[in-house]
Amino acid sequence: MSKTPTLYVERFTPCQRIIHLMIIVSFLTLAVTGMTLKFAMEGWAQQVADLAGGFAILGALHRFFAAITFLYFILTLGMLFRFWKNSGKTMGGFIFDPEGLVPNLNDVKEMVATLKWFFGGPRPQYGRWTYWEKFDFMAVFWGVAVIGSTGLALWFPEQASVLFPGYWLNIATIIHSDEALLASGFIFTIHFYNTHLRPEKFPLDPVIFVGSITVDEMKHERPREYAQLVASGELENLTSKRGPTAWHLRVATVFGLFVVSTGSLLIIAIITSMIRYLMRH
Amino acid sequence: MKQRVPGFSRIRTSFLFTAILLSLGLTAGNTFALTNDDCLGCHGDIIDVTIFSATVHGGNGCVSCHREAAAATDEHPLPMPPVNCGTCHQKIAEVHAKSEHGKAIKGGDKQAPRCYDCHSKHEIFRPTDPRSTTYPLNIPGTCGRCHQDGSPMTTSHKLKKKHITDNYTMSVHGKGLYKDGLIVTATCSSCHTNHDVQKASSPNSSVNRNNIIATCTQCHVGIGNQFLKSVHSPLITKTDKKLPVCIDCHSDHTISMVDNKDFRLTIAQQCGNCHGRYSETYLETYHGRASMLKGGEKLAKCSDCHGAHDIMPSTSPESRINKAKIVETCSACHPKANASFTTYLTHATHSKEDKARYPYLFYTFWAMTGLLVGTFAFFGMHTLLWIPRSYMERVKAAKAKREEQD
Repeated sequence: MSKTPTLYVERFTPCQRIIHLMIIVSFLTLAVTGMTLKFAMEGWAQQVADLAGGFAILGALHRFFAAITFLYFILTLGMLFRFWKNSGKTMGGFIFDPEGLVPNLNDVKEMVATLKWFFGGPRPQYGRWTYWEKFDFMAVFWGVAVIGSTGLALWFPEQASVLFPGYWLNIATIIHSDEALLASGFIFTIHFYNTHLRPEKFPLDPVIFVGSITVDEMKHERPREYAQLVASGELENLTSKRGPTAWHLRVATVFGLFVVSTGSLLIIAIITSMIRYLMRH
Repeated sequence: MKQRVPGFSRIRTSFLFTAILLSLGLTAGNTFALTNDDCLGCHGDIIDVTIFSATVHGGNGCVSCHREAAAATDEHPLPMPPVNCGTCHQKIAEVHAKSEHGKAIKGGDKQAPRCYDCHSKHEIFRPTDPRSTTYPLNIPGTCGRCHQDGSPMTTSHKLKKKHITDNYTMSVHGKGLYKDGLIVTATCSSCHTNHDVQKASSPNSSVNRNNIIATCTQCHVGIGNQFLKSVHSPLITKTDKKLPVCIDCHSDHTISMVDNKDFRLTIAQQCGNCHGRYSETYLETYHGRASMLKGGEKLAKCSDCHGAHDIMPSTSPESRINKAKIVETCSACHPKANASFTTYLTHATHSKEDKARYPYLFYTFWAMTGLLVGTFAFFGMHTLLWIPRSYMERVKAAKAKREEQD
């Protein structure tokens, strides 16, 4: 037992955690309902439709959570806008902040260093956001823009065809469907692994639900961020003795594991369906 | 059937006339003539005179059918040969003899139906009489005595079609008959005829492929007229390929209402029997995909866009998918449809087969696939390489923790 009390530092604000919860619930529902349509010839898809009470209900759920997606997209933009205002930086300075969320040259260096680490080099000095975390964040933006715009066109096809030729809906369908395949495939394998399933974190990293990590964890996992906070003297103000309660952790773990297993099940269904599809053709 | 009734009564009239002459002759030649009362003296327990006298043959004497007994003065000779209805009903007997049933009798099939198997012996009423075995409401039961699964006939004969009467009962015709008492609905004999029942493979059969349209249009005149003007009509399309007839889409004994869920769900498959590629590509697009899920019967099916009996070539201005009409066609489900909207390609895929026609779909798909493969290849490798390192980190952390505790 260490004599000093455990110190915690907040990594995600309550607002960010709520947005991430919105993403989880909407993304998972969108993925399940959408993939059910994409793989409608499969037994599992038909069972999902039976369970939901029919494709019309799946469609209604898909559209409802599409609206939630647009909502969290706007909330995220609003959050970034507030950060920018509070940072006192210029727009360019904020966007290209070396420790911000936009990938920069340092991420390329860090990626190379990581690959070296995989082959025995030293572990890179990760900062507040690693390059794979930045990729996740940017991918959501790219994904929401691409899937959202094509999805809107398919939601309102008559109106959309006033703006562009009707056969573009065919193109929109391919983009919507394949980008969704990319997004679900990425989230349910790569993101799940990077964040939760890799041996260091297995089976779940609850930080996105509980908000804080211990200072020790930060020191170990994000040494550059720790060093920066120590150097600027901000660490003192950010740490707290209050960590997440046991109940908070329990609920977070149960919910998190439920989501990770549902996503994993879906990705298994998708992969087997795709193999079956390829074998048929 | 309609034609046969006047003929039947004509025969009956002439028969009565002959019978009278005959009985006069018998009376003149013999001192003794057998009356019905004489017969009933012995057979009274099996013949109900009140019923018999109300039947079509009620005015006939027993001996007019049981001729061999006519000459008897006391007991007639035994065994009595079976009654030959053809003596009076000559034309019907000739038709029946050539039918599948008649041929079976000739071939010595003991189960093959003779006149009385369908018409009964002493309780023969007009087909319009509810008491008749050939009254529309009773026909499926009459035929079902042999053709219902489990009957001695179905166990001793190899029949291609199973559950005929059960299927009929569940069909639109059967429901009309039994649920609504609609006696003009099709029963067995409406399609198969009554006395001229032939195998469907026989070219003369009313249910042979080549005769089906004529058979169904006896009742479905309007649909027949539409169909004969359509692209599927043998009068319009001259081809070596098989053109569809009513039963190809509607089936035979299981025929159902066209707005029935199960029927709607089979349309793509039915049309696909000939238009395979269109059926497949339909299933690749939204309408077809959603059709496979619960509630999918509501989605557009082939006939919702192309029509059913009135399908015209797409080049014809009368076609529902011709430019002149397509907005109207799509509007049935998409009330805000416009000309641009109708350029949505309901059968286009991104496959190699469609590459020449829809290159933009082909290249969009492969660009997206490239993006997917690229992303997963990079991050997949990244993850695989990470696993051993991450595992070592875990071991290291556990070790550090143990040391700290010690």
